[in-house]
Amino acid sequence: MKKASLFLIPITLFVLLSVFLYKGLYGDPRQLDSTVLNKPAPNFALPDLMQPDVIYDPSIFAGQVTLMNVWGVWCVTCAVELPYLTELSQQGVRIIGLYYDQDTDPDFGIKSIPTIQKEVAAKLAQLGNPYEFNVFDVKRDYSLDLGVTGAPETFLIDKQGVIRMHHIGDINTRVWRTKIAPLYNELIAQ
Amino acid sequence: MFAELGHFSLVLALLMSMLLSVYPMWGAYKNQVQYMALAKPLAIGMFLFTAISFGALVNAFYTDDFSVAYVANHSNSLLPWYYKITAVWGGHEGSFLLWILIFSIWTVGVAVLSRGIPQAMVARVLSILGMVAIGFYLYLLLASNPFESLLPFYPVDGRDLNPLLQDFGMIIHPPMLYMGYVGFAVAFAFAISALLSGQLDSTWARWSRPWTLAAWCFLTLGLSLGSWWAYYELGWGGWWFWDPVENAALMPWLVGTALVHSLAVTEKRKIFKSWTVLLAISAFSLSLLGTFLVRSGVLVSVHSFASDPTRGLFILAILGVVVGGSLVLYAIRAPQLKSIGRYEWFSREVMLIGNNLLLTAATIVVLMGTLLPLVHKEIGLGSISIGAPFFNQMFTYLIVPFVLLLAMGPLSRWKKQSAKAIQKQMLIGFVISVCAALLIQASYNQMTYMATLGSILSVWILVSTLQEIMQRVAKENNKTSSSTTWQRLRRLTPSHWGMVLGHLGFAVTLIGITLVSNYDQEKDVRMRTGDVVEISGYVFQFNGVRELTGPNYYGHVGIVDVYTDTTLTEKITHLEAEKRFYPVQRSSMTEAGIDSGISRDLFMALGEQLNDGAWAVRIYVKPFVNWIWAGSIIMALGGLLSISDKRYRMAKVAKVKQRLSGEQTATATSSDVLATKAQGQA
Repeated sequence: MKKASLFLIPITLFVLLSVFLYKGLYGDPRQLDSTVLNKPAPNFALPDLMQPDVIYDPSIFAGQVTLMNVWGVWCVTCAVELPYLTELSQQGVRIIGLYYDQDTDPDFGIKSIPTIQKEVAAKLAQLGNPYEFNVFDVKRDYSLDLGVTGAPETFLIDKQGVIRMHHIGDINTRVWRTKIAPLYNELIAQ
Repeated sequence: MFAELGHFSLVLALLMSMLLSVYPMWGAYKNQVQYMALAKPLAIGMFLFTAISFGALVNAFYTDDFSVAYVANHSNSLLPWYYKITAVWGGHEGSFLLWILIFSIWTVGVAVLSRGIPQAMVARVLSILGMVAIGFYLYLLLASNPFESLLPFYPVDGRDLNPLLQDFGMIIHPPMLYMGYVGFAVAFAFAISALLSGQLDSTWARWSRPWTLAAWCFLTLGLSLGSWWAYYELGWGGWWFWDPVENAALMPWLVGTALVHSLAVTEKRKIFKSWTVLLAISAFSLSLLGTFLVRSGVLVSVHSFASDPTRGLFILAILGVVVGGSLVLYAIRAPQLKSIGRYEWFSREVMLIGNNLLLTAATIVVLMGTLLPLVHKEIGLGSISIGAPFFNQMFTYLIVPFVLLLAMGPLSRWKKQSAKAIQKQMLIGFVISVCAALLIQASYNQMTYMATLGSILSVWILVSTLQEIMQRVAKENNKTSSSTTWQRLRRLTPSHWGMVLGHLGFAVTLIGITLVSNYDQEKDVRMRTGDVVEISGYVFQFNGVRELTGPNYYGHVGIVDVYTDTTLTEKITHLEAEKRFYPVQRSSMTEAGIDSGISRDLFMALGEQLNDGAWAVRIYVKPFVNWIWAGSIIMALGGLLSISDKRYRMAKVAKVKQRLSGEQTATATSSDVLATKAQGQA
């Protein structure tokens, strides 16, 4: 009967919806990483945080194994990992920072660059400076290209400038030993 | 100790809900009175144990019992006592406990207040409510237990409540919203019981009407409280953001509005039965879906690292059982629903169903807009986001036919309306509203299509509502010419006034939305002490900043005086906006300074201090913004009036129905007749 099938429409739509909700539940936002993993780092041209007239591009990755650490002074966890990163850099690990500023207030954000530089310098003087230099992600475009979801996050980039690992959260002894160091040593040996 | 007691009570409440879902239903099926009679005590027991459990959690917050993990995460010893209480629903677990507490309040309400309804029906309704409750008690106990203990290693002090939630609006907003959300469960339970029992006449519609109206009132108030809170607490000056959480509450409201009207048609005219059942199922399903969307982390920002998919899965399972089950039942039983009444193409029925369809379309727009980003990602098209422009545009399309039908509907007759009879009223309404719209535009010296359209539509609703009252009074006049206009007005029933207020409230909200969206003025300025800025005739002078120390925060207060002109002689008001910093949560908060008025709000928010010592200040002049909330209060009052109508006093319904059964209610609308009869008996 034609009419009876009409009453099946709601349940059909609901089942369809549930499938998407179910998939969405496990559709981890972190899976977005896979789009940048094992590919050359996306192109960029961004200034140095401390010397805005110096412009960097992906050639900074060439020939060296690099940890690129996404951070900001506003980020509490970043402050926790800074001393350990400094330790790592003293052991010879090359670490560069991708700095992005988060407005404390969505309305009136935009801090002036001198203010940011002052805050960063103070923070690094206090907790240690692991960075060879800091790339300033002016409009957070590059973080978006990389699929950064927050801070701190760290990318391991090989000598060819290919992103080999994306770590979300802080780096500590345990994370370094179990997750990052094996691949890092392998890449160094290449 | 009390926390353990609360936990134990929750287990007992679960047991009660299990018994409630089985025995009365079995009794109704086998026609065993003693089992059906269990429904009421079990419902009361379920409520009592839930209340004890809730009380225990409140006590844990009040006494700073940081051995309870939930308390440690959402409270702090420095918090003022009233925020300690409201912190109970400031997080995931506690707000679910509030959800289920309110659910049990509705259940007990049905159990106690349903004397006029056959026992078997009440037994089924309570059983179904019990079944839904099982799912949520299990969820609380298994997946998000608010009484989880941190013993033996508990913190000295708590992590504090999110500063956004430390606010008066937050004290009452969630309970109101949940009262609405959860209240639709009653309409749902009535619809399902009707389907189950095979008693497919429209009596269930009459029984569930006051419950649905009550839920709708709460939801209306809850929504507008939320919007008001966002307006003055978030400091963005906006009152609606189309964010997923808001949408989750708007969808049940849209469907609930359709349901309130559809129930009226089903009750009075015995038609659209299967449609009404579907709406009743949908309203509650969308409440559940909203709960899922908000609580599972599916749509929340990518920064919610801690969101736990098992919790989402649990709610999705509840959703699947409750919604899936009821829709399957609907697919099986609904084809048997026969509509008896006849009606022509141009009649009040068709206009009401038309508005129902438009409300449903609006719901689908919101649902699509909210879920499309998710679907889009799942089918591999990448992440997208759908913003306010999409919703605004779609709602603009939908509101034009909606208002047209809203204006015509109450003026038309049931069954058949001659187009000619209504032509004149519509023409008058249109002319008046165009004139009024032009006047409004002229007073702002500015004309936009949107503002004109919005003004025409809202004035038209006002005019047609007045026309309807006049028509009513005139009609009465023919019957009993002796009575005065005042007496005739008084003869209109509360439920009639309910409709009038509902429609007027909508018009008031609509005019508020129109004017504030088209004519608000905004300026972001840097100001030093003594600086002056002028916006739409108001002169704002910045008078510096003073330090601020609160119980659990510190910050700055920006001071602004508002004058009528640049000579700064005539002062209108004094505004103070705060910028607070909450050290425990390390977050800062804006408290806007607002001078509210009938025709405008003056709004000021304080930003950061700039390098040169000046402050960033945001200033708004928002015309008629309060009308948005005033309108929703009027709507809710309308709902309340309708509930107070005598014909819902349950004991009397049966008698009135008997006397009516032989009567022909063709010409006069049945509400009139019903009311007259009810009054005659009173």
